[in-house]
Amino acid sequence: MLGETKPGTQCAEFDALLTDAIDGNLTGERRERFEQHRADCAACSTLFAEASSGAAWLSELEEMEAPRNLMHNILAATSEAAKAAAKAERDPSAWERLLKQTRMVFAPVLTPRFGMSMGMAFFSITLVLNMAQIKITDLTPHNLSHTFYSSQNKVMKYYENMRLVYEIESRVRDLRNATDEKQQNQQNQPNQRQEKNQTREQNQNSEPERRQLHEYTREQNVQVLALLNGKDESLGILAKQRRQI
Amino acid sequence: MLTLFTAIQSRPVEARVEEAQVVAQLVRRCASGDSVAWEEIVQRFHRRIYNICYRFAGSADDAQDLTQEVFIKVYRTVGSFDGEKASFGTWVTTVTRNLLVDHFRKTRNDRATDSMDAVMGADEDGPTLADRLAGDVESPQAHVESRERREMVHRALLQISPDLREAVILRDLQDLDYREIAQVLKVPEGTVKSRINRGRAELARLLQRTYRQAL
Repeated sequence: MLGETKPGTQCAEFDALLTDAIDGNLTGERRERFEQHRADCAACSTLFAEASSGAAWLSELEEMEAPRNLMHNILAATSEAAKAAAKAERDPSAWERLLKQTRMVFAPVLTPRFGMSMGMAFFSITLVLNMAQIKITDLTPHNLSHTFYSSQNKVMKYYENMRLVYEIESRVRDLRNATDEKQQNQQNQPNQRQEKNQTREQNQNSEPERRQLHEYTREQNVQVLALLNGKDESLGILAKQRRQI
Repeated sequence: MLTLFTAIQSRPVEARVEEAQVVAQLVRRCASGDSVAWEEIVQRFHRRIYNICYRFAGSADDAQDLTQEVFIKVYRTVGSFDGEKASFGTWVTTVTRNLLVDHFRKTRNDRATDSMDAVMGADEDGPTLADRLAGDVESPQAHVESRERREMVHRALLQISPDLREAVILRDLQDLDYREIAQVLKVPEGTVKSRINRGRAELARLLQRTYRQAL
């Protein structure tokens, strides 16, 4: 077509002016240029002839009369559509009712403030996960259990190691204490002998008191033995002795 | 063509402006639920829409169904019409054009076997276009010949590609100016003019070929 056989600015300009030329709106210098190019270019000349012929053919077509019942049908269709729309507004379908109820339930949540909070929370969690170098894949149940058990093992090992260290420390301390005591004992042996002698002398001086105490204890023991043999009788004996005293 | 052009030119600008104002008022009333205004709008535009549909779809039945669909769509969306962007006529034509394009895509397979030898009109047992052009069926009266010629052009129009056809229909059959067509088709005015030229030329070639085959 145009521009295919003889491309160029003149052909493009001819194409742009063609409709105006067929409409009869082309005058003056533009019309002269148009006619000049039409005479020079065979392709554009053919296009002009075909387009003019096509326009002439199309002018044969008259406006069709619409069917008589068309307007009535249109009004009936639109009134039905209006009724259907009004009915749909009045009687919502089950799905619309469910949607409405769901919206009512989630109305407090579906607010800009909640959305903002959720966004901030999500941002914070993402930031923390990034800083901790935790990937989303690490949060699967399998990986979580794996992480839990490996952490538990680490803690157990740490505990065992600490226990061993403390045990060794305590042994060392015991040994050191034992060594210190031995040395002190060796230094304190003469003093101890003197103290023993003094103690022995004191014991001899307090012998009569101890004997009395011993006898007293024995009497008490007799009473107790009587007490153990017969409860009722011993109670009577004990009462008599107390009265005599 | 000359008659058509004269008709376009002879329409006074003041009358068109006044008509546009009346229509704009009707649309406002219709948007607020005035059924009388809606009836008036249907009265004013149904013939124009029917013609566009008929020339594009090719069948009177299809055109009637499509026209109803267009008006149902217009009725539902009349509230969204913005008078500052385009006139109501251009808007309705745009709605029609979009619907026709959808219809064309849906029925593409049905038209794959269409040709110039297709049976004309509603009479399926009637002669083909080629037969009529060859003069096998005598039509003594002039108005019958004229009707047949129009039918032939109508059939040829359906053979050209949709892009060119819609541009030609809007310009040569609906009297829209290039700016309005550019708004409806959402392409630059230069493209509109080019499509019209190519559409007219293709139509002429088709008709010439048909004549040659008939002869």
